[in-house]
Amino acid sequence: MAEDIRRLSDELTRDPSSLVFIQLGELLRQQGQFDVARKVAIRGLERHSHNADAHDLLARIEVDRGELQSAFDEWDMVLRIHPAHAGAQKGMGFVAYRQGKLVDAERYLGQAAEADPDDASIASALAFVRKQLAPPAAATSGAADGERGGGRSTVAMQRMAEEAGLRPSWSDGGGGQSARMLFAETIGDGEQTVLLLDSSGRVMAGAYLAADGRDVGQEVGAELSGVSDEAQRAMRHLDLGDWSSIVFETDVAIVALGPAPNEGLIVVAAERATPLGFVRRLQEKSLQRAREWLGAGA
Amino acid sequence: MSKSPFEGLLSALTRQRGVLGSMVVAEADGIIVDSNLQIGLKGTVVAALAASLYRKARHSAGAAGFGNAAFLQLEAERGHVCAVGRNELVIVTVAESRANVGLIRVEMMRALGQLG
Amino acid sequence: MTISAVEDWVEPPLRAFVGDARVVLALLLNTSGQVLAQHGFTRAVDVMAACALAAAIHASGSELGRQLEGKPFSGLHHAGRERQIFLAEAPTPRGAYIFLTVFDRESSLGLVQLYFDEFKVRLAAAAPPKSEHKPALAENFEGDLNKNLAALFGRS
Repeated sequence: MAEDIRRLSDELTRDPSSLVFIQLGELLRQQGQFDVARKVAIRGLERHSHNADAHDLLARIEVDRGELQSAFDEWDMVLRIHPAHAGAQKGMGFVAYRQGKLVDAERYLGQAAEADPDDASIASALAFVRKQLAPPAAATSGAADGERGGGRSTVAMQRMAEEAGLRPSWSDGGGGQSARMLFAETIGDGEQTVLLLDSSGRVMAGAYLAADGRDVGQEVGAELSGVSDEAQRAMRHLDLGDWSSIVFETDVAIVALGPAPNEGLIVVAAERATPLGFVRRLQEKSLQRAREWLGAGA
Repeated sequence: MSKSPFEGLLSALTRQRGVLGSMVVAEADGIIVDSNLQIGLKGTVVAALAASLYRKARHSAGAAGFGNAAFLQLEAERGHVCAVGRNELVIVTVAESRANVGLIRVEMMRALGQLG
Repeated sequence: MTISAVEDWVEPPLRAFVGDARVVLALLLNTSGQVLAQHGFTRAVDVMAACALAAAIHASGSELGRQLEGKPFSGLHHAGRERQIFLAEAPTPRGAYIFLTVFDRESSLGLVQLYFDEFKVRLAAAAPPKSEHKPALAENFEGDLNKNLAALFGRS
């Protein structure tokens, strides 16, 4: 990739009006060189201000930099130039979701789905947003206002973002992104969520998105880690050996806890209707994933 | 001596294969209200610890935004502890590893109605 | 967790109890009302008051039990709105001590009783052999009490 960047840079130097800046900017973005990529994109747009792909590139760079509103504005420009640009509609849907504007997110994702009906990630993300917008009884198996419901999965939106080539900066850059997505493959497209907590109840990996898009994993993890402390206390006296799992059913969710390496905790939350055996299986698979990740020196 | 109102439900639970004992416990105190235990099972110990665990799970679930906790199952190397509660009373069951927890859960949820 | 004890052997059993039972306050005293160890108190005057009351309640309760059943009551429990009190006797080879604890929703009566039973066993096992000593005279009592309080609150 370094070779390609050098080659494209040389070409752009020879011909500053060349459109290779789009390719070059994308490679730099993939390398994580967001500031340089942004400069390349802006300089290119000075000469090609009506190029939809150039604006799309800049939008994706802005998402990676965490500048969601700026990204949104760039995609808006893309749609003025190319109204059926699925990538822009998808991107605007993603930004709207992150901003908690679910109605707007549904509209944009709906348009993206019409423009590109074969894109499974758009369909999945759209279904997820529509579920959030549905009345509480339908969306969350009886969750009342303020209740989280089981398993508000991040996977649908995150997968769509990935397949759109986005690497949105959550809060702490690349390492944090991989930690947050640690259980994405384990969960798949399911409506569950998984957190890995350390011995102090702090989130090490996974995320738990509330309906407004906020990651509430830390609050949830802190509350539930107290249950495992209680179990530890109980096991010293019950003569049943070490505990391996605690599962409890609530009004709106099934929550499963399991010990993780280094006195950590795996937390799995799923919709109330999820079979208990499935939740246990997911817990086991998540623990395995956590062990692999921790063993790899995460 | 008059029978406890919970004698029937406790008998039904303890008859399940692999169940070592069952009891009705006051959630706040962890004190046994009534019990049906095999010899060797330390009922007072189980009652205090299981009630405390159930209460903690219930409060934590509520604070985390999951609503009211109902059924709880703790799985350990050598057995299970199950708990389900209503009206400040908790039905606690201790079972061996080989027990069918699914059946125990069904029976406990049925028994829950008798707690008022 | 801050445990302060007049005699070292008391500290490990009390520390284990406080850690397991997660109580707010704990106090161990002799039947004369002199403190041996405490957890959770911040002022010496509170310890003095609690010890005096605990000794008096224990004495009254014991006598009441003897009158009613021919033997002293084994313990006392009172549940307040936010906190509860448990008071009971802890026998050791050196004699009986009075144990007072205050707990809230982080614990329960069942847990306190469970861990108190363990505490009694540990305390009795840790107690050094009974030494020969003269009974406390009235003029020494206040001096001994003040000395114990000073030891607990680090002013000796």
